[in-house]
Amino acid sequence: MTFLAPGFFIGALAVAAAVVALHFIVTRQPRAGVLPTARFVPDLPATATARATRPSDLPLMLLRVLLVLAAGAGLAKPIIKPSRGVEARVILADVSRSVQDTGALNDSVRAYSRSHDVVIAFDSSARPVAADSVSHLRSARSRGNLSAALIAALRAGSGLRDRADSVELVIVSPFASEEIDAATDSIRALWPGRARLVTVRANELATSAKPSLEIRAQQGDPLAVTVAQAKSNTDPTGLITRSGSSTEEIPGRATIEWPVNERPRGAVARAARDTIGGLTAHGALVVASFERRWAYPPDSIRDAEIVARWIDGEPAAIEFPGASSCTRSVAIPVASAGDLVIRRDFIRFVGALSGDCISTTSAQPVDAPQLARLAGNGGLVPREAFPPRGDVTSDLAPWLIGLAAVLAIVELFVRRRRALEVRSVSARSSRAEKRAA
Amino acid sequence: MALWREARQSAAARFEEPDYAALLDSVRGIRWPARSAVRGGIPGAHTSRMRGASAEFTEYRPYRQGDDLRRIDWKLFARSNRAYIRLSNDRAILPTTIVLDASASMAFPVGSLGKWTLGAQAAVALAAVARNSADPVGLVVARENDLIQLPPRTRQSVINEMVRAVQDTRPSGNDPLTPAFDAAARMSGRIVIVSDFLGEGDDLLAAASRAVVAGKEVHALHVIAPEEIDPPRETVLVSDPERPDIRRPLTGDARDAYLLAFGAWRDRVAHEWSESGVAYSVAIVGEEAPDHLVRRFTSPRGIAATA
Repeated sequence: MTFLAPGFFIGALAVAAAVVALHFIVTRQPRAGVLPTARFVPDLPATATARATRPSDLPLMLLRVLLVLAAGAGLAKPIIKPSRGVEARVILADVSRSVQDTGALNDSVRAYSRSHDVVIAFDSSARPVAADSVSHLRSARSRGNLSAALIAALRAGSGLRDRADSVELVIVSPFASEEIDAATDSIRALWPGRARLVTVRANELATSAKPSLEIRAQQGDPLAVTVAQAKSNTDPTGLITRSGSSTEEIPGRATIEWPVNERPRGAVARAARDTIGGLTAHGALVVASFERRWAYPPDSIRDAEIVARWIDGEPAAIEFPGASSCTRSVAIPVASAGDLVIRRDFIRFVGALSGDCISTTSAQPVDAPQLARLAGNGGLVPREAFPPRGDVTSDLAPWLIGLAAVLAIVELFVRRRRALEVRSVSARSSRAEKRAA
Repeated sequence: MALWREARQSAAARFEEPDYAALLDSVRGIRWPARSAVRGGIPGAHTSRMRGASAEFTEYRPYRQGDDLRRIDWKLFARSNRAYIRLSNDRAILPTTIVLDASASMAFPVGSLGKWTLGAQAAVALAAVARNSADPVGLVVARENDLIQLPPRTRQSVINEMVRAVQDTRPSGNDPLTPAFDAAARMSGRIVIVSDFLGEGDDLLAAASRAVVAGKEVHALHVIAPEEIDPPRETVLVSDPERPDIRRPLTGDARDAYLLAFGAWRDRVAHEWSESGVAYSVAIVGEEAPDHLVRRFTSPRGIAATA
């Protein structure tokens, strides 16, 4: 067992020693006696301090020492250290949508994990997996995030600091490009050793062939002009429908539901319409005046990806993932008047909005240099390389503080009872002396 | 309650009534002359200021009108043809009253009541000595809310009455001694104060000074217990039996201060009482036998010499 804040316990030991010492230094009324010339004795308080060979009031002393030690130990936050092994692994298991075969993932994780290893499942977030759930990992629809997983691995490494002499990092993932972000390399560099990369099969959507961008709209729809321009400038693959929804599903191709006047899918009418000066999607920025009629409530966004935002941050278009493709809901009004539909920034915006499903792009495997950076070099990481965790909580601390509180109450009652007894004996003794005199 | 009963039984076991018969035997033959000539009156053992017609011739004095014709020395008149009165020293009695302090401070040490025992023995013995000189002797015991007064008498039983009086008395309370002294001074020409003088203010000293000025003989016997001079060295919470509000710890440092203060007080009492013309003596319990104390107290050398 060790303490997170040992200073409190050391202080409690000192206080307990002082309490014991004070119980040997007895301050009480000494033996009473009669002296007719007592008036010549200096008028001092009628108590005297004396050193005793045995502590006064042993039960009360023990109670107080226990109280102080319990309070000190509670504030010192004791934790019970597990026995330390030679080697432990931190296994990052990718359960994002990039994984095609969850069974293969489970097999890989099971092959590398041992009883004292830490398994962390990650998609867009990372969380530790209980030992009995290692064989039952399920892939999610959300995008994987290796940066979050690596941060969780660092935290787990600090947690393994007291359980193993060296720690190894194992990443079981298809290593799709969507799981890498700008911070991944920096965070990976914080792990001071090599990582074992175990690649599992990625989702096959990555290789599906898709037709080019097209729009299904009534004749004279101004957005058709923009789509025509976007087809020639970029290589979008989406299908824009201006009314109703399309049943045509091409793997990896985005179906963009961009109604003219109807309520977009997942959106609700705004309480008050307003006007906003621009929107953006994947780096394409449009500066124009738009009247906002619809808004996406949080419930709609929960299972969706935001693909376009108004310049104040509100979602302007969201993507609902499908089994093999996706559906995008766009709440951007397109005015028939004005030059918006032929402006270059709007054309780029439509092209960006009509790109492949996020799930489609996610499955692209990272290149070899990126994999090398993820693998790193060096050996196993010694335990000293990890800083001790600062967020470790002590399960015993609340109980010890509670015990101290209970002991404090008991001490109060015991002390009062002792005081009453001493007062009673003193009064009896005084009366007896007077009568004897 | 058990503690009180134990203390009471312990005290009763240790206190022993003094053997007054042996004491009276031991002081038989001791004479206690007056410190100066006493006023005339009933013939007694003490030299009187009066010149009378006793057989002990002193001088002649010419006859003056008003003298008793029977006192003219007719033989001298025949030889010298002058009338002379034959004078001789008169001897008179000196009524003596013992004022015995029976306050609570005299009941110390608690077990043996040494101060009270010595004071009572001294009072009875001094009365017996005075009685042996044919002086009327009386006793005033100043006890709690009460005065026991035995007026000066010369009859044989007066000593027994005194013994019974002191045997029936247990010191308690803290009444002042001055009323007892005043009562004794009204009855006697010699007053003996037997007390520890604790709790007595200047009233008693003033009353004694007035008595001395009035020609009375005042003696003071200061009774002190050895435990008061040398208290125990262990820390004790001491209490004053006459003043329950005084409860003080007698520690090592406090003991030194106590010894200084008590010694200074004793010196001051001895000085003031001696200066006021009182024959002041100190009696320490257990230091000398009661009859020795009485001999020292009644001897002319002992008076006012042992303070």
